[in-house]
Amino acid sequence: MREVDFIDGDAAADVVIVGSGVVGALIADQLAGEGHAVLVLEAGPRLNRADVVENWRNFSFERRAGNDFQGPYPQSPHATAPLYWPANDYIHLTGPDAKGFKQGYIRAVGGTTWHWAASCWRHLPVDLKMQSTYGVGRDWPISYDDLEPYYCRAEEAMGVSGPHDPARQSPPERSRPYPSDMVPWGHGDTAFAEVVNPHGYNLVPIPQGRMVKPWKDRPACCGNNNCQPICPIGAMYNGIHSVESAERKGAKVLAESVVYKIDTDDNNRITAVHWYDADKVSHKATGKTFVIACNSVETPRLLLLAANARNPRGIANSSDQVGRNMMDHSGFHCTFLADRPIWLGRGPAQSSCMVGPRDGAFRSEYSANKIILNNISQIHNATKKALAMGLVGEALDTEIRRRAAYGVDLSISLEPLPNPANRLTLSKTRRDGLGLPSPDIAYELGDYARKGYDKACEQLEHIGKLFNADEFHITTDLNANNHIMGAVIMGSDKRDSVVDGDCRAHDHANLWLPGGGAIPSASVVNSTLTMAALGIKAADSISRSLAA
Amino acid sequence: MRALAILSAALLSLAAPLAAQAQPTAQSRFTAAEIERGRYVATAGDCAACHNAPASAPGREGAEMAGGYPIVSPLGSIYSTNITPSRTHGIGAYSEAEFARALRQGIRRDGAPLYPAMPYTSYAGLSDTDVHALYAYFMKGVRPVDRTAPATSLPFPFNIRTSMRAWNALFLKDERVKVDPGHDAKWNRGRYLAETLGHCSTCHSPRGFLMEEKTGSALAGGPLGAWYAPNITSDKISGIGGWSQAEIAQYLATGHVAGKAQAAGDMAEAVTHSFSKLTRSDIDAMAAYIATVPAVRDEGDKQPAYSYGKSGTFEAAIRGGTQPAMAGARLYSGLCAACHGRDGDGSPDGAIPSLHHNSTVGASRTNNLIAVILHGVDRTVGDRHVLMPGFGENSFVQPLSNLQIAELGTFLRQTFGPGDAISEKQVEIARSQSSLSILLLMARTGMVLLALILIGIVAWRLRRGGLRHAKATLA
Repeated sequence: MREVDFIDGDAAADVVIVGSGVVGALIADQLAGEGHAVLVLEAGPRLNRADVVENWRNFSFERRAGNDFQGPYPQSPHATAPLYWPANDYIHLTGPDAKGFKQGYIRAVGGTTWHWAASCWRHLPVDLKMQSTYGVGRDWPISYDDLEPYYCRAEEAMGVSGPHDPARQSPPERSRPYPSDMVPWGHGDTAFAEVVNPHGYNLVPIPQGRMVKPWKDRPACCGNNNCQPICPIGAMYNGIHSVESAERKGAKVLAESVVYKIDTDDNNRITAVHWYDADKVSHKATGKTFVIACNSVETPRLLLLAANARNPRGIANSSDQVGRNMMDHSGFHCTFLADRPIWLGRGPAQSSCMVGPRDGAFRSEYSANKIILNNISQIHNATKKALAMGLVGEALDTEIRRRAAYGVDLSISLEPLPNPANRLTLSKTRRDGLGLPSPDIAYELGDYARKGYDKACEQLEHIGKLFNADEFHITTDLNANNHIMGAVIMGSDKRDSVVDGDCRAHDHANLWLPGGGAIPSASVVNSTLTMAALGIKAADSISRSLAA
Repeated sequence: MRALAILSAALLSLAAPLAAQAQPTAQSRFTAAEIERGRYVATAGDCAACHNAPASAPGREGAEMAGGYPIVSPLGSIYSTNITPSRTHGIGAYSEAEFARALRQGIRRDGAPLYPAMPYTSYAGLSDTDVHALYAYFMKGVRPVDRTAPATSLPFPFNIRTSMRAWNALFLKDERVKVDPGHDAKWNRGRYLAETLGHCSTCHSPRGFLMEEKTGSALAGGPLGAWYAPNITSDKISGIGGWSQAEIAQYLATGHVAGKAQAAGDMAEAVTHSFSKLTRSDIDAMAAYIATVPAVRDEGDKQPAYSYGKSGTFEAAIRGGTQPAMAGARLYSGLCAACHGRDGDGSPDGAIPSLHHNSTVGASRTNNLIAVILHGVDRTVGDRHVLMPGFGENSFVQPLSNLQIAELGTFLRQTFGPGDAISEKQVEIARSQSSLSILLLMARTGMVLLALILIGIVAWRLRRGGLRHAKATLA
């Protein structure tokens, strides 16, 4: 096993990985396991689970009810992440749908999967051929069959439970079963499925990175329903699990180490990255291969701010596509009181989802959607409403109980198309704690997804009628779903894309930019499993490159 | 269980080359019933705990009794040996008499003595029928695997075996268990299982100066690395005299009795690999016998370990606060309460235990509370796998420092237990000890050897009258 060499605070490794989230961590875990010297540079701090759990429990009712999932996570003053209670304006948003792009992500060792819900969806095979099938969006340079083995490996690495019954899989094209059968449904999932499934909505179990039995060193999920902002018992997969696994195999992970500069040679190979430590002392990491896996905001930001003489528009940016095609599953919610108790909140935060509207010929005209039966306990919403009604005493308790039992919250995700005008740029005026430019993002949902919103509303009205809905409401403001995609988009033509099918930069033979940024078509499903699969595919590519 | 067998495994590995030269024995004279009987006896004796190849090892899947189970220790990795009927790599060349001698007297086929890591002092009591069944099973029921388990190389004094002859002469009672006519057949069956195959006393009996089990205080408890095998005599305060026979049986079969105790560490392994697979009648028989073991009282004990505590209500006191005095409560809230409940009541269905009325929290000795926080619980019964994550160095939940574990442990003792404190030093000591008992037992064995060697040297010096010569020999 080779080890990272440190001389006077500078490092030399085989593989230098910037970012310790799920993608960087899985790559580190694999390559360290193969015996390579792996250095991981993480901008944010190392976290203690108990502190975050307690920060959340100590929050005010308003912040808990308002889902302030960013707030409980301590930040390094040198690595700001977005905050909304109050807003820190770290990312300045512009454009018609700016308010719908308020992303949450964590800059800390282990990354944003500290506060995800662990949904582990695959793209559909057709999602990778949107242009050739439906005449919209972009095709991937790789096929679903190319990606499928990596989906399997990602599911194994993250310990995913999903339905063994092919009729309940989305998609059913699989070469291996899920590592474990689906997390059993609660009453709400079953009650909901009975009503909506005869109408084609196809409520199915969500594949998820947790189990109801122990998995490796992970305990069984015991249904705290607290996945967001944090699993209090470590039953849910977190990137930190892969970080620690990589460290046991010899990888070196440096927290509070902010990369800000990238060196290239005459052949435009990356020769080194420079980072600031917690005292703003600069160090240099040299390596044979480099990975930048900092999510779809921090990766393009770093590539742009690391522009050098050889790459004046930014690293990997000869196509001018770095920072463009920003996507998220822009979403909205539908809430109502059903005519029967649903009792959301038993088990994990996300348990079942309607995938009937996920695909169809309509996708040539408007966006698909998926409708999650949001399984977060309704007690906060119920309490807010009951208090607003001016109730006190037993009447208040009774009303909270009624609303918690009958309340339904559906979370709908749309599929925006990649649009180069949806773009991240560097602010000319705002700077972070290190004096580095903060990101600006311009975002517009686009007519395709806007029309998909209208169609989804028709479906929701129908579902509401099936439950004789009371207080039926559909939000008109979009909300971000934190599935940030685009910015280093994948393609076969280096003139209009940043990376190839292995997430290798077209411009730099020894640079990989794996993760959500490479995803060329959003689909409507959570992006993490696809990011992880792309990360593992990149790790194989790096491994071959190191062997050559 | 595993612990004692490890050292013998190291020794059996030395026997393998000799075994290869021996004549084959008749192997076709066993009935299917005998082989199956032997499989059951091997389960009751938990041979697999040490001798099965680890499932995770590449190419070793399903390699029953093929050895190679590694225990990482500061002395180097120790590997269990191949006891499949391979004549070249296992024990295929052992005659039944040689097999019986290894089991009951700790003597290898080549005549060299085993260390008591192999619980032969317990197995000495095995009936001829069971030895025969075991032999049938090992010769015909186990697939021969022609593979040498990785060699174990232990440093001095662990590589010296002959001094065990003196130890055996002092402490090995090579006699079968006799039926006690004062008790019924069920009790006698239970005693046989507990004293021989189950080898309860290996861990649960205190040991004397030369690490022999102290017969006068059988099953009164003994330390096991980071853990402590508790007093399981019938004493109502220090032991388990307050448990019903049904509860003892349930504990053996499942490792879990709500309001009493849960099996972790070596006992979890014993439940997983052995007791949970025994017949109901054998478990009931063991419970019947265990319930009658003469009471041994530790005068320091005031009330039964399981009887301490009640629901704690501290939630309001810690919200928004950062007082250092509440650090243990905050750790409890942040890392434990999500399963064990904010009041320590466990889950309503009892699957996750309460922390009040819990022997681990209430025991006089804090060893098991510290050990379970460090190492967690890992136990499988049937298709039910119980895993409480540990909070030691490699925790996937959150590694805790010695100070944090002391704070958390003190909070638990004071909220749900006898009210005393756990010091950072105690955690430091526990952390330095293996989660498996192997290290301590090796240290004990080493002490025995050293003592015997010193006795030998003294005798030799007296005879030869030369201290200098003796020193040279020691070096």
